[in-house]
Amino acid sequence: MKKYLLAAGALLALGTNAAFAHITLETQEAPVGSTYKAVLRVPHGCEGKATTALRVQIPEGVISVKPMPKPGWTLQTKKGKYEKSYQLYGETLTTGVKEVDWSGGNLPDEFYDEFVFRASLAADLPAGQMLYFPVVQECGDATDRWIEIPAAGQDEDALETPAPGIKLLPKK
Amino acid sequence: MISCWRAPSGRAASSRKDRMNASFPVRLNGVHIRFLTSGLLAAFVLMALLILPGRAFAHAALVATDPADGAVLAQSPSQFSLTFSEPVSPLVLTLVRPDGTQLPLNSYRLDGQTLAIDNPEALKSGTHVLSWRVISEDGHPVGGSVLFSIGAPSAAPVAGEAVDWTLRTAIWAAKLLLYAGLLLGVGGAFALAWLAKDRRCGQRFVAVALLFGLVAAPVSLGLQGLDGLGAPLARFATPVVWKTALETSFVWTVLIGLIALGLALLSLAGPPGLRKLSASAALFGVGAALAASGHASAAEPQWLTRPLVFLHGAAIAFWAGALAPLGLALRKQPAEARTFLARFSRAILPVVAVLAASGIVLAIIQVQAPAALVHTAYGRLLLLKLALLLFLFTLAAVNRWTLTAPAEAGDTEVQRRLMRSIGIEMLIVLAIFGVAAGWRFTPPPRALAIAAAQPVSIHIHTLQAMADLSITPGHAGEVAASVMIMTGDFGPLDAKAVTLVLSKPDSGIEPIKRPATKPGDGTWRVDNLVIPLPGRWNVRLDILVSDFEMVKIEAPIDIRAE
Repeated sequence: MKKYLLAAGALLALGTNAAFAHITLETQEAPVGSTYKAVLRVPHGCEGKATTALRVQIPEGVISVKPMPKPGWTLQTKKGKYEKSYQLYGETLTTGVKEVDWSGGNLPDEFYDEFVFRASLAADLPAGQMLYFPVVQECGDATDRWIEIPAAGQDEDALETPAPGIKLLPKK
Repeated sequence: MISCWRAPSGRAASSRKDRMNASFPVRLNGVHIRFLTSGLLAAFVLMALLILPGRAFAHAALVATDPADGAVLAQSPSQFSLTFSEPVSPLVLTLVRPDGTQLPLNSYRLDGQTLAIDNPEALKSGTHVLSWRVISEDGHPVGGSVLFSIGAPSAAPVAGEAVDWTLRTAIWAAKLLLYAGLLLGVGGAFALAWLAKDRRCGQRFVAVALLFGLVAAPVSLGLQGLDGLGAPLARFATPVVWKTALETSFVWTVLIGLIALGLALLSLAGPPGLRKLSASAALFGVGAALAASGHASAAEPQWLTRPLVFLHGAAIAFWAGALAPLGLALRKQPAEARTFLARFSRAILPVVAVLAASGIVLAIIQVQAPAALVHTAYGRLLLLKLALLLFLFTLAAVNRWTLTAPAEAGDTEVQRRLMRSIGIEMLIVLAIFGVAAGWRFTPPPRALAIAAAQPVSIHIHTLQAMADLSITPGHAGEVAASVMIMTGDFGPLDAKAVTLVLSKPDSGIEPIKRPATKPGDGTWRVDNLVIPLPGRWNVRLDILVSDFEMVKIEAPIDIRAE
């Protein structure tokens, strides 16, 4: 207990950027120009109901997205044009996945699961800033939208349903 | 971040320990005590940094309530219950009564995910708000409100508004003097010009009445400006007060009234050739001045009400104006007064008929329902006026049918009685003017009904979106909200969903959320909304622009009491 309190005290003192609630990403930082494995953690359903679908919007600058299939879930992607072209391993990319949907599954409220995709973070993404992946969680007829992005200067904690995000680090 | 933090459960602590042992093995060694201490601290800090972000807690969501949101109960419940999607601990539980007072709810029990709250008192009828704020497992405080009514949803309590009695008295007195000037002065000048044989009797009285009117007219205008601004009497001379007054319709009453008073003076003192003409024009002006402003003239249909007010005003001026010169003539020169009395009594019947008919029609338009005669201040003043009128008509009828003939014949005793009776009539007429001046402060039932139905509207404009929101009627109680949404640059915004969120932090009312529906006319609506209290509310619109984009805009809105 004492150890725990120590940790807690340290945490409070440091005031880290921990995200406590909601659907979150396991790895919360990544350098630009690198490959990022996104693990979306779904800790609960919508107001007690089982999760039946999860949809993720891929932000601009996240390219070459490859979602990981999940047994029991139908995986679909929506492709579209990027706002600009990106160079990746000598290739020029102008279109790609803009949305990833896992649907048709059933994740009861009392269970936890993870949804995974892999992507490249474009080298010209602004290091030091946050990059958000808005998520829509569907539970039959109920929907939770983890899509709120804090306005400039706004505390992320003030948001009721924040979008999961990562902090972009400088290129290694 | 810190405010969100809450002591985790035992399960959470043990899972942390497991992960710590797996990922950060610290070799226990008695020699390295200091290393161990600082190392442990470092380890735990690291653990905290690594693990806590990974702890995915949830916000508690309200799943069910008893009474249900929006329920209408026959009697006061003995307890309330709130069921959440996960265990919570209550922070603040408040019951807001229909009159806006707050009752803290301190007695509650937690039974799993259900919070049972004792109701400490028998609730009176009306709409109550059960406002809750709890802390959920993730340490996030969440709040909301449940509305329910006992008996029926209540209209809002009437908020007492401070009345500036000095100003009111001044407005009333100025109005009374203006009426005296217009009706007794101008009417008196008309009677002297057209009915009297010898015009000297009553001339001074009429002149004084006209002078009172000439002073009272501009003073009334200034007071109107003060009232419009809600400013005290001390600011009477400030330009803004007069500027405000000049923007009201009352300025026309004052202007036309001043012209009428001037014409009446001209008829008194001017060349004999102009006497009758200017007196007639002045009487016409009285009707026009009264028709230019006021409750009755503002009523619909205007093509009917304005001419009726005109006729009513001109008829009063004719009747009331003639009384003083006639009474004075009877006292001073009974012989000369006989002609005056004969002319007056010939003309008075049709005039009173016009007066009564126009008054009755106007009263019906203004009062609408007979019950309003008793229930509203306007109605009660009307009843008082009717009682005075009944007395006046009785006196007038006695004068006309029993006293006039012998008085005209020259019976001095009867002439004296008639004179006294005319004196009493004068006093009643003044009392009626006083009552009519009191209407200045009592909106008629017609206007009250219109005012109560008026919506309140606000415009919210942000870069991302803008909205026109109206709440109809704009007072507390059962209302409907209508929202028109556009993009920040006035373009169409086809939102996927809109949620109306109302909160009133100063009354301890946590957000009341209602999803809006789309009736198909381009607006979003929330029907069956109950706003439990008047005052300043914070309204927020959560606009789902696309699946992944939500825009939240908010602004304060003032909800009236009635």
